[in-house]
Amino acid sequence: MHMSNHLARFRSSCSVAAFALCLGVSLNLHAADSAVQVQLDFKKASPRGVEELTERAILRDYRFAWTSIAQALEFNTVDPLEGPFAGDAKRWLKQSVVSQQQSGLNQKYLDQTHRVEAVFYAPEGDVMELHDTAEYQLQISDGGKVIHDEHAVVHYVVLMTPAADRWVIRLLQAVPQF
Amino acid sequence: MKFAIPITLVVLTVLLMVAGLVWTGHAGGTVGIAAGSAMYGLTPNADTPEHALANLLTDAQRRNWDRAYADVSKTSDVDESSFIQDWIGSNGGLRSFSSLEGFDSRPMHITNDEAQMRVRLHWTTPVGPIEDARDFHLIKEGDVWKTVWPKVQVPSVPAQVVPVTYLRWDLVTGGAADEWGSKNVDAPHVRIISMNAVDSAEGAVVMGEVVNEDTIPAFVNVNATLVDGAGNAIDQENSFDKIAHILLPKQVTPYRIDFPTISLKSVKNVRMDVKATLVPASADPVIGVMNQKVESDVQGKSILHGDLLNESGQTVNIPHVVASFYDNNGKVVWVADGYVDRALLPQSSEPFAVEIPRSLAGKVQNFHVVVNQYSLGRS
Amino acid sequence: MQRFLQVCARVSLGVACLAGFCYAQDFQAPAAVSAGDEADIPTTGSGKATFYLVGPGVSRKSEVNLGESIHLPAQDTKIAGDYLAIVCSSTCRSGGFYVSAAKPATLTFLVHPSRVPVAQSDAVSGVLLPFDQFHNLILHPLTVNFQLATGNASLLSRQVPTQNGTAWFRALSGKSAGLLQVIAAVDDLSARRAVQQVASDPCNLRITGQRTKTGIIVQTEPVRDCAGNPVPDGTIVTFTATGANGKSSVDAPIKRGVAQAQMLASGATSISAASGVVMGNEVRVGAQQ
Repeated sequence: MHMSNHLARFRSSCSVAAFALCLGVSLNLHAADSAVQVQLDFKKASPRGVEELTERAILRDYRFAWTSIAQALEFNTVDPLEGPFAGDAKRWLKQSVVSQQQSGLNQKYLDQTHRVEAVFYAPEGDVMELHDTAEYQLQISDGGKVIHDEHAVVHYVVLMTPAADRWVIRLLQAVPQF
Repeated sequence: MKFAIPITLVVLTVLLMVAGLVWTGHAGGTVGIAAGSAMYGLTPNADTPEHALANLLTDAQRRNWDRAYADVSKTSDVDESSFIQDWIGSNGGLRSFSSLEGFDSRPMHITNDEAQMRVRLHWTTPVGPIEDARDFHLIKEGDVWKTVWPKVQVPSVPAQVVPVTYLRWDLVTGGAADEWGSKNVDAPHVRIISMNAVDSAEGAVVMGEVVNEDTIPAFVNVNATLVDGAGNAIDQENSFDKIAHILLPKQVTPYRIDFPTISLKSVKNVRMDVKATLVPASADPVIGVMNQKVESDVQGKSILHGDLLNESGQTVNIPHVVASFYDNNGKVVWVADGYVDRALLPQSSEPFAVEIPRSLAGKVQNFHVVVNQYSLGRS
Repeated sequence: MQRFLQVCARVSLGVACLAGFCYAQDFQAPAAVSAGDEADIPTTGSGKATFYLVGPGVSRKSEVNLGESIHLPAQDTKIAGDYLAIVCSSTCRSGGFYVSAAKPATLTFLVHPSRVPVAQSDAVSGVLLPFDQFHNLILHPLTVNFQLATGNASLLSRQVPTQNGTAWFRALSGKSAGLLQVIAAVDDLSARRAVQQVASDPCNLRITGQRTKTGIIVQTEPVRDCAGNPVPDGTIVTFTATGANGKSSVDAPIKRGVAQAQMLASGATSISAASGVVMGNEVRVGAQQ
């Protein structure tokens, strides 16, 4: 009788713990996603004007790309990089992750804010250049010990191109100033 | 106890098998209209035209060809192999892949010795359910009624050599390596030239025409998104098979997109999107659409009918007709499609028919038909 | 006694450090590095430390001796961007530096469309992006020479400076069907693309009809656009015949410049033709004798 009561209590505790874990992970992911703030300005995009649907798509896909970068570099996994990136950007980011796996480092990009301006949109709409002034809290850890923690402001030149169902980042290059 | 589940499963299986056999061919019930079939092995005597026809159709449905042919009057000008061929189709036509799901028959005219019965045949096909209306003539031979089967017209195509000199386009895809900008073949340019959104009995319908403005073939799909006043998408659908997907250069096709159970009252905007991709294609076969006329059929429906003439040397296994109907302003008021269940042999023709909704028949001033075709083993 | 000596040693070390005789680690990050260049990071201090280099495509850790220079091999600075050098011994110090793109080595040249109707304004456009050998975008201004030519005729020759790493052009297509060569050059680097110029919509579509035993043979005259370029074979011409038996239509492809179709019609028939959205003339063919 006692054993069955304990067993029942143990099972229910496990269920609650599993639920709490799932909830926590999902909230964390949601938090990671909602922690990336992006403001996009298309006024200077030329020679082609940016269509309204394209503006929304770029905003959505750029935000998702940075969420993916944060996840990839925090958890040292290349999976989040498959969708939002192409070409050299994907290659370099994967290289970063592999390098981190080998060295035991990881990076956290927290509280990201991106003020992005579109500066070029090709006549046929097949490439867009963005200038991103990104602010985030950058934490670098070695085996769990934080070795670097700073509030960083970085200027990125970004090239995005349309893929089958989204816009992807082809180049993400940091520069001292625009 | 441990055998309870297996025994239950066996009993359920047997019951379901019996039920499947008993209720084969039933296609809904309407008082006064004979439908479906009788229990297997217990077909009624052909003592009435209804019973005789039901026996024939049930045997044909079950592919009991000897029994079915035995239900045909000897005065029919058809042998058993032609009779079977007429049912099961040939040359890879749509009928070859179809099966008779059910039927509804009703008497049109009955005397002591002969009868005219109208039958709606419900076919299950790879392209969805198809209905076919036919009239059957029955005569009384002794105590039983028999169906007079019409002479089966098989196109007689003389042996000949037909040279194929039409253009063919092949597609060479690039390598897997991502060389941005170095390998560039644009998707074909296609343009929607008209769009009309209407409410129908089944829901909202968006239709119109699209043209391939390019110099290469295109595989085309048209999508439509219904948007409400707040800019939110209500529903998104595509043209599915109510379009001729492969468009050769400068070819025009109608398209129709159905939104079942949605009314245009809640729709503020319709966002159209046409997708065109490169595809290998051939300009052969050329199929002419002859003798097109809008008339009322035996059931009083407005039908556009005509003949498809295969002007080439290859068999077209499954012809598909897409028709656009215009009002006196040239606006597309309806798009209908239909499959021809017999293969189009070279240099021969087959009839086709597509229905126009009663509510629109009066508005139709002109029409245009394009022919899609699916041929086995060919792109 | 031994324990007393250990304590004394520790106290002496602490006092010496307070007096400034112990050096903590410090280093100077490079001012500017060009992609693919080696660099050195001088350090001060003594003892062992851990050196971290974190940047685009690189994230490495190594043990170094303070007071010696830390060498960055070329492969660590291939990718342009911002880098962080961190040296940790008792504490961690960091310094950042930028790697900029090297000299131009490749040109990414996007040209659209791959097929264009003749004589259309602003029909052809191109975008050029210069990259160095490591695929870093070169952001300082470069002069790009764009040229468009068909055969021996030059349609465009224009010099355009890059802005934010891009240069672009737009031009009209030539009057004759054929291959249009598009070239972009930066110094001694160049990229070539080819655009197929094709005939525009058919112009003056004219048909003739002739009655035969089986019906009517309808044929177009050679189908050309308004500039006289032959419309490509395979282009569809829709023939429509209207008579007592109803309407007949055939979508016939152009073959060797003409389109032909057979129509079944016995009575007096009126025949028209269309290609895309372009209409042709109408002919009347009398009834079969």
